[in-house]
Amino acid sequence: MWTIIDRRLKQDKRGASTIVAVALSLVIIVVIVSNVVLWSYEMNQLDWEKMNEDITITDVSRITNSSWFVAQSEYMVNEGSHINGTYEDTESAEEGLWETFKERQPPVRLDFNGTFIIDSSTWSLTYIQTIEIQLRYRASDSGERWYFKAYNWATERYSDDGFNSTVGHMPTTEWRYYAVNLTDQWRSYVRDDGTIYVKFHDESPDLPPNRTSIDIDFLGMRAVIDGTCFTFRNEGSVTLHMVSLWIINSTLHQRYDIDLIVNSAETYSYIRADISLTSGSYAVKVVTERGNKAVYPVEV
Amino acid sequence: MKRFLKNVKAITPVLSNVLLMLIAVAGMSIAIAASYVITGNLHDTMGERFIVEDAWFTTDEIAIYLRNTGKVSISVAAVYVNHTSRSFTALRIEKEGHGWLNITYAWRANTVHHINIVSSRGTQIVDYYRSPT
Repeated sequence: MWTIIDRRLKQDKRGASTIVAVALSLVIIVVIVSNVVLWSYEMNQLDWEKMNEDITITDVSRITNSSWFVAQSEYMVNEGSHINGTYEDTESAEEGLWETFKERQPPVRLDFNGTFIIDSSTWSLTYIQTIEIQLRYRASDSGERWYFKAYNWATERYSDDGFNSTVGHMPTTEWRYYAVNLTDQWRSYVRDDGTIYVKFHDESPDLPPNRTSIDIDFLGMRAVIDGTCFTFRNEGSVTLHMVSLWIINSTLHQRYDIDLIVNSAETYSYIRADISLTSGSYAVKVVTERGNKAVYPVEV
Repeated sequence: MKRFLKNVKAITPVLSNVLLMLIAVAGMSIAIAASYVITGNLHDTMGERFIVEDAWFTTDEIAIYLRNTGKVSISVAAVYVNHTSRSFTALRIEKEGHGWLNITYAWRANTVHHINIVSSRGTQIVDYYRSPT
């Protein structure tokens, strides 16, 4: 059989070359067609994903401060003693738990400090205006004033220089709030990674045997900013990648690069400390990587 | 070797076969190169996508912010405002890139403008934009 085919091919060389040419042409055609089909599939997939995106801006609001940052480890008692509770009991004023410290034996003093860390990835130090420290506490007596100090990273000592109030606070046996802010001097008290050491201490040694005990219900700090919170909702079936944020008013169309991923059916609050909406009318627009847009009118 | 040198006639079929092979290889190479170019252009045209992020009417200018959402870079070849070709700053946007396209046009306030942006491969984005009051 093969001998006959071989003989025929040898006799009809034109036929052999035709077969070779057709086979090679077929290869080229198959490659072209398969490529076109693959590319059209790829682009159809892209368009299908774009059609399935559904992004909504549900709210745009001005924010003037960050969330509270609380102690992440136990307070260090320099003078006095720790009676009961843990630092976790000072994280919220609502849960009805507190931590108690007591002045030590003569000289009767109480002095403790805690470490707080501002989340500088969310609250960029560049746009912080000042830092507020707030305490909710009560004392066993009202015999003396109590003071905040913070560690000054420049002078390397605890200080209250530049605080809006340095006169301290007179406690009562009832729960009271005591708050200070670090004014425009706050940067001296915050390390570049957002760390702040805060000290709470009494005014002067008491006369023995009067040892004051202090209950701390809440101790935290927050950054004062002038920023904006944008709330996005992904109502589509595919994950969103938002890449552009526009703040538009009659005089300026300002674009910001963003890089946000929002899962399907998820709501995401995005805080920008560097975007301040002063009074007026704005249009906020967000653009996804696939090319869809959402717009939200804002009246400030 | 002596036989091969004496048989001069045998050289002709060898040479002719080699020549035919060279011609066939060259022909196929040209065919493959041509198909590569043709399909490459087709691929680029199919993969071209871009959107208008924003339109901003400034003094004697309409600024359009474009984003390339496709698979290939794009170049703006022509811009038509109200069906008339207008001058614009040259713009080439790489894949996933974005940028302003500034169109020179003395627009009138509170008027609807039909703007057509055409890429070098022929993709068009057409929309209406109302100028501010």
